[in-house]
Amino acid sequence: MQNSEELKWALLIASMAMLMMAFCMISFVMYYQKRRFEEEKRINEIEKNYNRLLLDTALNSEETERRRIAQDLHDDIGTMLSLTKLSLNQLSKMVENYGNEKDDQIMRKSQSLVEETILHVRRITRDLVPTTLERFGLLEAVGEFVHKLEEGNKLAISFHASPEEFPRQGQKLELTIYRIIQELVNNAIKHASCSRIDINLEINDVLIDLRVIDNGVGFDPDKIKESNLAGLGLLGIESRLAIVNGTVQYEKPEKGGSRAFVQIPVMPVSDSKPEPLHPFRRERVNI
Amino acid sequence: MFETYFAYSLRKPIPCFSTFITLLPIVLIITRKAYLDPTFKLLLFYSLSKLITDLLIFDSAVRQQNSIVYFNISIPVFYSLLAGMFYFKFSSSIYKKGILYSIGGFLVFAIWDISNSNLEITDFQNHRAVLFAKTVEGVLIIVLILMYFYEIINSLVIPDLLTFPFFWVCSGLLLYYSSFIFIAPILHYAASWKNIQDLGIARTVPYIFEIICALFFSVGVYHFSADDYAKQ
Repeated sequence: MQNSEELKWALLIASMAMLMMAFCMISFVMYYQKRRFEEEKRINEIEKNYNRLLLDTALNSEETERRRIAQDLHDDIGTMLSLTKLSLNQLSKMVENYGNEKDDQIMRKSQSLVEETILHVRRITRDLVPTTLERFGLLEAVGEFVHKLEEGNKLAISFHASPEEFPRQGQKLELTIYRIIQELVNNAIKHASCSRIDINLEINDVLIDLRVIDNGVGFDPDKIKESNLAGLGLLGIESRLAIVNGTVQYEKPEKGGSRAFVQIPVMPVSDSKPEPLHPFRRERVNI
Repeated sequence: MFETYFAYSLRKPIPCFSTFITLLPIVLIITRKAYLDPTFKLLLFYSLSKLITDLLIFDSAVRQQNSIVYFNISIPVFYSLLAGMFYFKFSSSIYKKGILYSIGGFLVFAIWDISNSNLEITDFQNHRAVLFAKTVEGVLIIVLILMYFYEIINSLVIPDLLTFPFFWVCSGLLLYYSSFIFIAPILHYAASWKNIQDLGIARTVPYIFEIICALFFSVGVYHFSADDYAKQ
């Protein structure tokens, strides 16, 4: 009888011990899983930040290099071309005095070629470093970019953004938006064979919305991504957006053309007024 | 007849409740369409076979007949269904193969244990509970659960275990089999028709955890979403 009682107690204690172990096991799995997830999340966050920093550095380097090239073009080649133009002007007066018409023609041709080269150098320099963006802001810079494109192409480009509603943003953000607009518009001209491009820029308290719509042949963004056809341009847009936590969506409307929709969170602008950057000053750009 | 069943239920409320609570996960699996997932389809079959077995045992108990034969037969059936669930959950082909072999091996072992525990196999009135099979079943299921836990910790694909249906199923089974593993071999000696030994509260503990197990199954099935399953 006593053995039976002892057996009952032994059974009960053994079962309770086993149950306790089971409870501990379940709790451990839950705790350990949660901890590993948090750790994994933290590592991913570090990795993401590191990648963002790398991208940021790469883009900064690109901008610095653009500036250096622009500066070299202006300071060295630009100066030399100006001197060449002056020399040619003097030479032209001398040739005029001799009265040889053939020599005079060659001289004028040389002068016009030099002038043309100076203009080209100036244009390349401006393309490399958007001085208007730094001095007058995004809306002016995009307006100038659009105007220049319309001059050279049989293309209607409309740009809608209200200056009152679109205050100046941080330099980095403005440059990002400007480069994205440049890329999207250039893509539309190069690949979409379009005759009209609409650019819309809006801002609210939280987001900056950019819409670039063209009436060209359009493209299927999913197919491009699947077939690894995403060009450097599209990748460049995504890289720039990754730094400012922005997103881009491409759509192919049924009626034709293509539509790019970019959203970027508004960043607080620092109180210190950004020093106006001169394109031809030799210094590292900190965007 | 109904009065007899009712009187028996009042006399042994916990075992009776553990029988009828099985209806809850069954109803939930059907209403939430969890049977679309092969794992939960097997859980439905397990719950149905458990309900039928428990009802037969309940009926035999009321009629004062030996019900051990149902208990013995249910052991390989339950193991096959439960191990089958893990077959669909494991991603490693080695584990899957191991489960298939274990089902085959356990079936043979359980049949041997039933015949070994009952020299007169046709004598249902004096039928005795198996000596090893239920314990081995418990050990195997606990091993499968621990292996599955190891796999989910390693794979890190489930962000929140509390909303993962199969985690609840595993937890329920782990608690139930942990509560029963030491009592199972004793049943061979205690649950004898001629000389029934009362194990006291120790015999009630597995019934309590059977109820908890059914509730855990229900919570797991409740977290199952047929829409999410279709998207996988």
